[in-house]
Amino acid sequence: MKKTLGFIKTYFALLLVAAVFLWAAFVIASYSRHEIKPGTTTLRIAHWQLEPGVRKALDVMIEDYRKIHPDVDILQDAIPESTFPQWVSTQLMGGTAPDIVELGQLDAATLVAYLGRYYVPLTRYISRPNPYNKGTDLEDTPLRLTYKDGMRDSYVEELQDFMKIPLTQFGMRVYYNKDLFKKLTGLDEVPLEYRAFLEVCKKIQSQKDSRDQAYIPLVGSKTHFAMWDKAIFQPLTYGGLKKIDFNCDGYPDKDETYIGFITKRVGMGYPPLAARLKMISEVRPYFQESYTGLSRDDGVFLFAQQRAVFIISGLWDSQSFRDQASGKFGLGVMEFPTPKKDDPEFGRFMPGPRYERADAGLPFGVTRTSKHPETAIDFLLFMASKDQNAKLNRISGWLSPIKGSKSEPELEVFEPHLQGIYNGMDVDFGGETGIRWSQLFSLFQIGQISQEDLTRQFDDFFQHQGKVEFAGRVGTWRRDAQRYEQLLAGMRATALLAPAASADDAWLRYRAANISRQLCYELAKNWQLAILKQGNAPGVIDPYEYSPEALKAIRERIAGKKETGQ
Amino acid sequence: MASPSPDEYEIHDFRLLTPARLARVIFPLVACLLALCGCGEDVAKTDPHAELATAWDDYRSGDFNAAVHKFERVRAHSKEGSDDYNMALLGLATTWDLRRPDEDRELATTYYRKLAEVAPKSEVAAWGLFALARMKHLPPVGTNPDYPAVRAAYQDVIDRFPGTPAAEEAFLYQQSAWLATLSKADAQSAKTALENYLQTHAGTKYRSAIYDLLASACRILDLPKERLAYSIKALDSIEIDPTNPKRDKAGAYWRIASEAEFRAGDFDTARKYYNLLIREYPIDQRVFPAKLALERMDATEAKIRAELQGMSTTR
Repeated sequence: MKKTLGFIKTYFALLLVAAVFLWAAFVIASYSRHEIKPGTTTLRIAHWQLEPGVRKALDVMIEDYRKIHPDVDILQDAIPESTFPQWVSTQLMGGTAPDIVELGQLDAATLVAYLGRYYVPLTRYISRPNPYNKGTDLEDTPLRLTYKDGMRDSYVEELQDFMKIPLTQFGMRVYYNKDLFKKLTGLDEVPLEYRAFLEVCKKIQSQKDSRDQAYIPLVGSKTHFAMWDKAIFQPLTYGGLKKIDFNCDGYPDKDETYIGFITKRVGMGYPPLAARLKMISEVRPYFQESYTGLSRDDGVFLFAQQRAVFIISGLWDSQSFRDQASGKFGLGVMEFPTPKKDDPEFGRFMPGPRYERADAGLPFGVTRTSKHPETAIDFLLFMASKDQNAKLNRISGWLSPIKGSKSEPELEVFEPHLQGIYNGMDVDFGGETGIRWSQLFSLFQIGQISQEDLTRQFDDFFQHQGKVEFAGRVGTWRRDAQRYEQLLAGMRATALLAPAASADDAWLRYRAANISRQLCYELAKNWQLAILKQGNAPGVIDPYEYSPEALKAIRERIAGKKETGQ
Repeated sequence: MASPSPDEYEIHDFRLLTPARLARVIFPLVACLLALCGCGEDVAKTDPHAELATAWDDYRSGDFNAAVHKFERVRAHSKEGSDDYNMALLGLATTWDLRRPDEDRELATTYYRKLAEVAPKSEVAAWGLFALARMKHLPPVGTNPDYPAVRAAYQDVIDRFPGTPAAEEAFLYQQSAWLATLSKADAQSAKTALENYLQTHAGTKYRSAIYDLLASACRILDLPKERLAYSIKALDSIEIDPTNPKRDKAGAYWRIASEAEFRAGDFDTARKYYNLLIREYPIDQRVFPAKLALERMDATEAKIRAELQGMSTTR
């Protein structure tokens, strides 16, 4: 015994290493044994959707797929969201990535780089009908057109290829505790008009629970505030577009916003931006104290503990909220409160509801290291077919992105508003001004700085630093052009090498990409510099302002019609 | 001859087993075997055309080292001036020109020039010369293009490869470079050159791009009605890549409608294009703004009508 103990003591480190090695070998061997069943093709699918509904839905999909392809076995790797980016990077770089991987959790540039290097382009499947739609009204429809959004986000402009197949559609709404709402307000329905909604919040806040703590009307946290901002505050800036959309494409971009601020055409005091800040100052008293320092989970905890009445979140949380509410309280879901058109403060900034894109989510890609890419793609097509996808989303409690699919009645409230207004100016600049903005905005969110001070301090800071940063951005324009040139050269080579049958298509793609972006890039950017130089001198007209010549032409036309009696 | 002592044997045996000695024998053997395997693969198995395709795949996916390696291999095993050789040379030049980081513009220039030497009449050489002009047009960040040299480089492509797609593109970029000065004189000369080009190149596949450039020239020259007419012609002749869902006509509809409404004061045209956007792209973000625009134009007309009415009553 003494001898054994002595041996262990002497060789403890070695023995520990040996034990760990044996354990690891056992785990790997048992995993591999499960993986490699003789005569079967084994695929692995990795994602970060740990919600039980989604995992169950994927299991059902796998089971259904095996009914028609009994020789295919598919394993799920559900990786926690917090470690997914590191995990997936390691797997991709080490050449051990699963066959199918959920795409996301990485910054846009890294994701594009990974997609180019590690994933299989899916373009050739996109224009063909999905074979699993046979027998449905989508039988002859190309895959792309079976999606409500036309798979816009699956196309990666930098690679000129479709790289992902999405399987669901998300939406964002306000969840609420029906019982608590009724108890505290005496109302059955939540008012959707902004002012009436604030009154309800006020009433809720004035009451205390059994522990003498005031009820919280709105759950706040860093995450939840960002969602409120996107949903009800930012749309008020829609009017900013008419001042800064210099290229008249209908979208504000970062350079345009810089120019707008530098030339003082706009500033934080510009009415649509001021309206956003004003609404925040009206709503913020109804979040819990110090909410900006709390995490998402802290916020959800308050809601689950029935201390808060309203929480904003996406459809992805639907199932977990239902589980938390089950047997405790009734869970309601509502639209966002909106000011009336005649609201004295905000009505003129809100000419319509908020626009919501019908973007598809839960996108998957197939890795280049997959030994069975065709089978992996086939499985994705199976899950993207009309009937199977409806089933997948029914089990997950989500919406299907496929055309003609009916949502469950309780999910109808999540259907996107496809017409409305949108954010007209993104003041989250990045760089030093972005940091300054973030500091001031955080203080403003908790009422430690007034709207006037925020406006003055930011505008003063921007007038100096914004110009410096914009000069730096101009340097990146050429870098962008060079990056696009790299892409075009690749497309040109594809066309040069293409067999006769597909050469015309390849050249068309090349020309279209070249003309739509590169040919006039320098010219467009020089126009921006000219607008910057022009400043905001008297007589300078806004992008969406009638020029004197236009008004003259309109007058002449109307006068002419009058004279001719038309 | 005296036989060695046992010690000497021992020393001798020991020396035979040193790692250095083993390495000296084994490594060259392994290297020879690997080299033989490698050569075998190159010569026997590689189809240059397939190798080129995978090299370009590597280039596209950003694996530039692999691309260079494969282009080099094809070049080494192809006859100088053959199609594969030229394409490999273009690949090498392009990769060294446009890879980031570690680009080598000097080496790229050498390859582009070599291409023009070994295959002076080939399509690939035309694109090589065009790429040289583009290189001049897109100098390293922090330096400005030498515009006279850029225009001359485009002219070189036009002169040496007339009628080729590379020459057509060179002409377009040359005119675009003139317009980019935003000077009225340059815009006027570009406008004339572009209009003449359309007369002499009726079958060009770049018709839409030429109309677009003409619309830009008119913008600089402050000719809103002519600009609108050219923008519409550009749209009418546009080539849409059916595989790209992000490039559709919605943007052009919106831009033409806005130009017509705010710059030309042509409400009929504006209404037509706002309505096309609403009808053909019902889930586009700009549909609601287009509907607001239709209401705004009605209100503007009503206001002007009322003003004119008031004036005539006063008279």
